[in-house]
Amino acid sequence: MLEDWTLLGAIALYALAAVMALAEARRGRALPVPAVIGLALVVHAVSIALRWQRLGHGPYVDMFEVLSSNVWSLHAVTLAGVLLIPRLRGLLAAVLPVLQILVVWLLTVEAQDTLFPVTYDTLWLPVHVLLGKVFLGVTVVAVGGSVVILLRRWAGTGFAALPSTKLLDEINFRLVLLAFVFECLMLAAGAVWAQDAWGRYWNWDPLETWAFLTWLAVAGYLHLRVTRKPPPEVSALAILAIFVVAFGTFFGMPFVSVAPHKGMI
Amino acid sequence: MGAAALGNPRVRAALRLPSAVARALGVLASLWWTLAWMGVTAAILVHGLATGAMDARWLALPCGGLFVNLAAALATNGKLRRQPGLLVFHVGLAVLALTAAGGRLTALTGSVEVTQGGAFDPALVNAKAGPLHPWGLGKVTFVQGPFRIDYDAGLQRRHTNSTVFVPTAGGGWDEVTVGDDRPLKMFGYRFYTTPNKGFALLLTHIGADGQRRTGAVHLPSYPMHDYKQANSWTMPDGPELELWLDLPAPVATPEQPWSFRVPDDATLVVGLGARRYELKPGQEMRIGDARLRYEELRAWMGYTVFFDPTLPWLAAAVLVACAGLGWHAVVKIRAVAGDADA
Repeated sequence: MLEDWTLLGAIALYALAAVMALAEARRGRALPVPAVIGLALVVHAVSIALRWQRLGHGPYVDMFEVLSSNVWSLHAVTLAGVLLIPRLRGLLAAVLPVLQILVVWLLTVEAQDTLFPVTYDTLWLPVHVLLGKVFLGVTVVAVGGSVVILLRRWAGTGFAALPSTKLLDEINFRLVLLAFVFECLMLAAGAVWAQDAWGRYWNWDPLETWAFLTWLAVAGYLHLRVTRKPPPEVSALAILAIFVVAFGTFFGMPFVSVAPHKGMI
Repeated sequence: MGAAALGNPRVRAALRLPSAVARALGVLASLWWTLAWMGVTAAILVHGLATGAMDARWLALPCGGLFVNLAAALATNGKLRRQPGLLVFHVGLAVLALTAAGGRLTALTGSVEVTQGGAFDPALVNAKAGPLHPWGLGKVTFVQGPFRIDYDAGLQRRHTNSTVFVPTAGGGWDEVTVGDDRPLKMFGYRFYTTPNKGFALLLTHIGADGQRRTGAVHLPSYPMHDYKQANSWTMPDGPELELWLDLPAPVATPEQPWSFRVPDDATLVVGLGARRYELKPGQEMRIGDARLRYEELRAWMGYTVFFDPTLPWLAAAVLVACAGLGWHAVVKIRAVAGDADA
């Protein structure tokens, strides 16, 4: 089936881009990594679109769909980041290998046909999902910066093409601030959806509670960073912690909670 | 006198604001307090997750602390006031928290079942209301009409289209279609359909004096409880009856698409002690000096009832707060983007 082959092709291209990014960082010679990511995104988009057309709904329902669409969006946001700020291109060597964990996970999840819960049939769901993907994508770019800061500090790895640790720390702070904007908007869109779908805008179900914990973690980091100006390594660790909480919220809670987010029938 | 002016040393001096007060405000405005109250909030949330019993009322404590912290910061922190986007975001958040708290005090959430062909009865609403709720449910009037719910294979419920009749000023009735995402809005109350619906036994009790009283006994939600379509009912002047519905063929067909409907071949089985009686619609039985008539089988629809007058204000506060944060983020990112590109 074309849908499967295009997905496999995209996965191969993502892996190739990650290897090329590592080679680029090691040799210091530019390779066409953004072009390969771009090609992978196009091929992957075809796979997602074919599935969307066949099932009649977007990739929001089960783990396979959520993973697949997030692999796409996280690569897309990362690519957009390095295209908008070319000096961050070296971050690809830190971010892409991390994203391959998701890619491998995607390979292990069975692609079953899914039924679209009636409570998902609203414009607010794609808005909520899109904002969430941008939030996580921007956070992932900051995670790349954090990995570089920590590798420089503890492994002595240079990443000479990237800005100084001090500037990377500043960029990370701004990235998390930007991610926070999208997280606030995501929560607001989710509340509108919840009011429509279940007659209440917020009910402290496990996923909502975890989402609010993630919001608190980001807000806490931003306040800490503004007032105490911790060393870049501490900031980097805080960003990694935020990512862990956000990752659990995105990829853990929706699939263990029996709350309405799972698609009450 | 605005908070901005209070932060000005000259204004403070002019007001002869005691230095102790200024110092106290400075302490209260510390961002350590912000982090501490955020930590308390997180602890309450984690405790709620761990115990499975989230009580949002506890959040009033850290929210109050954060509110005091922010107010003190607005009075003493010139850097915060000089960043309009950040200022708008924080004030927006404070307004949001206060509005949400006000909403909780006046809100009502509840559920109610309405029999097809019957009127909404406010006394049957199982409600949880804030202490300042204005209690206007008595003004709500509507009659439940027919409803349609289609199911895909696998018992996947599709859209619910529930018809209700609402009285008009001219004495007529308006037909309104209600769904899970299309509430009936009356006097600030919103009625949303739910997965909860089922069959209702319309029974008439005819007393020894000939007085007739008709009412409905709702059977458990269908198809969720398709295996126990039974209920008990105590007669006004008599014994408790066990009532259950004998369905020769199930209405729900999990393997293929189906639509919710009231079956026309069902039999009501009445259990009275060790005896069993079978009734078809229109049949009756004698119990002591009284008679019980099984009129017909109908459907009932379950609704979620929601009242919160602050919803539009919450939406406005969120929009303002997000706009402020976005503005602040753009200013900050522009400042550093040039450095990164350099």
